[in-house]
Amino acid sequence: MSSIIGIVNYGVTGNIHSIKKAVEKAGGKVLVINNHKEFGEVDKIILPGVGSYKDAMQELEKDNLLESLKTTTKPILGICLGMQILSTLGFEYGETKGLNLIQAEVKPILVDAKVPHVGFNTINVTNSNKVLDGLEQEEFYFMHSYEVVNYTDITSLTDYEGHSFVSSVQKHNLYGVQFHPEKSREAGIRLFRNFVDL
Amino acid sequence: MIRIIAKLDVKPPFVIKPVHFEGLRKIGNSPELAKKYYEQGADEVMYIDIVSSLYQREIIFDEVEKTANELFIPFGVGGAVRSIDDFSKLFHIGADKVVINTYAVQDDPSIINKAAEIFGRQAVVVNIEAKKWDSHWECYTDCGRIQSGKDVLDWAKEAEERGAGEILLQSVDADGRNKGFDLELCKIIVDMVDIPVVVASGAGSLEDIKKVIEYAKPSGVAIASLLHYDKVTIQNIKAFLRDNNIKVSK
Repeated sequence: MSSIIGIVNYGVTGNIHSIKKAVEKAGGKVLVINNHKEFGEVDKIILPGVGSYKDAMQELEKDNLLESLKTTTKPILGICLGMQILSTLGFEYGETKGLNLIQAEVKPILVDAKVPHVGFNTINVTNSNKVLDGLEQEEFYFMHSYEVVNYTDITSLTDYEGHSFVSSVQKHNLYGVQFHPEKSREAGIRLFRNFVDL
Repeated sequence: MIRIIAKLDVKPPFVIKPVHFEGLRKIGNSPELAKKYYEQGADEVMYIDIVSSLYQREIIFDEVEKTANELFIPFGVGGAVRSIDDFSKLFHIGADKVVINTYAVQDDPSIINKAAEIFGRQAVVVNIEAKKWDSHWECYTDCGRIQSGKDVLDWAKEAEERGAGEILLQSVDADGRNKGFDLELCKIIVDMVDIPVVVASGAGSLEDIKKVIEYAKPSGVAIASLLHYDKVTIQNIKAFLRDNNIKVSK
């Protein structure tokens, strides 16, 4: 099934370029979404994110994108910070309310090792779904200082120096990955293909 | 898992190989080499424009974008970054991390704080070019040409406190000589900061790479000339490290 993937463009941050390239390689058509009106023109949504939780929420609010993200029933794939802001509350540069779509809080990674956690790492899928299909035990690229603390919607866990953290979640139409599929070689392209084919 | 990073030292439009950061030799063009190392299994590619800062030139965005287009792995870019606007432009054309040295050391270190707050600290890499004097190391800028007066240990700590997400540690003495890393320098910095440290400069053999990983335990190793002259491939490096019980990605 062919579908149009909308990548939400907000703020000064963004690795939209890389995600667009990877989705296209995976066979998807891409439309960059700059305002809520454009939500109607796409079948699925990718919420990217590089930057801080606080900045991301402020920018989404400024661009009038919050309501559309909260109310849509279209599949959403949140990547890294894009996954984190699906949560209730974030603790980066103060306390910030998130989209509150997934019951979770975002806190600094609690580990006795180097932070940010940067590099390829394996995902251990605990509860597979169509987006993670065929990717159990694959390696993906991580680049983060914060982790999503959630107990109910976990689809995979990853171990970093003895600390297990949530590397992906799913709830209804919402998919979130802590890692960067657009930076994860063929495994990442496969994940986008799975999302495009949903 | 330790990251194996291919480093491209660029004098646009060529990737060159400096010896002690001087005496440049042309190796090839950056998009082709980046693609080659990506296909060999590099975990990251780092693109450092090594002349623009010295000559006060602008970053050649075109070349960066062409190089980014070949990659589906993280891409770090540095050289002549002087403003938040430079950071922003580089992220928009495909950089995942921006590497900064000269401007932060010579002009305004607070650019590290600002960039970390806006782009997230994981996207800000501070490049340290260290040169050894009797009992200490000093920071150099403009690709090892200008002495800054700053102590490397103090600056590494300061960079971390200001919000750097990673340190790229280069040695002016060891760079391009292929005679091994400055092991003491690598170990001191890795032990001192809580952020990841990528070590560069000096890899002349697989054994050198293994040695620095075992001794200093960096988060990544950046390799340039060993790859450029096709002495080894990324696959060779990873297979060798795996055989020595060092964890690397596929």
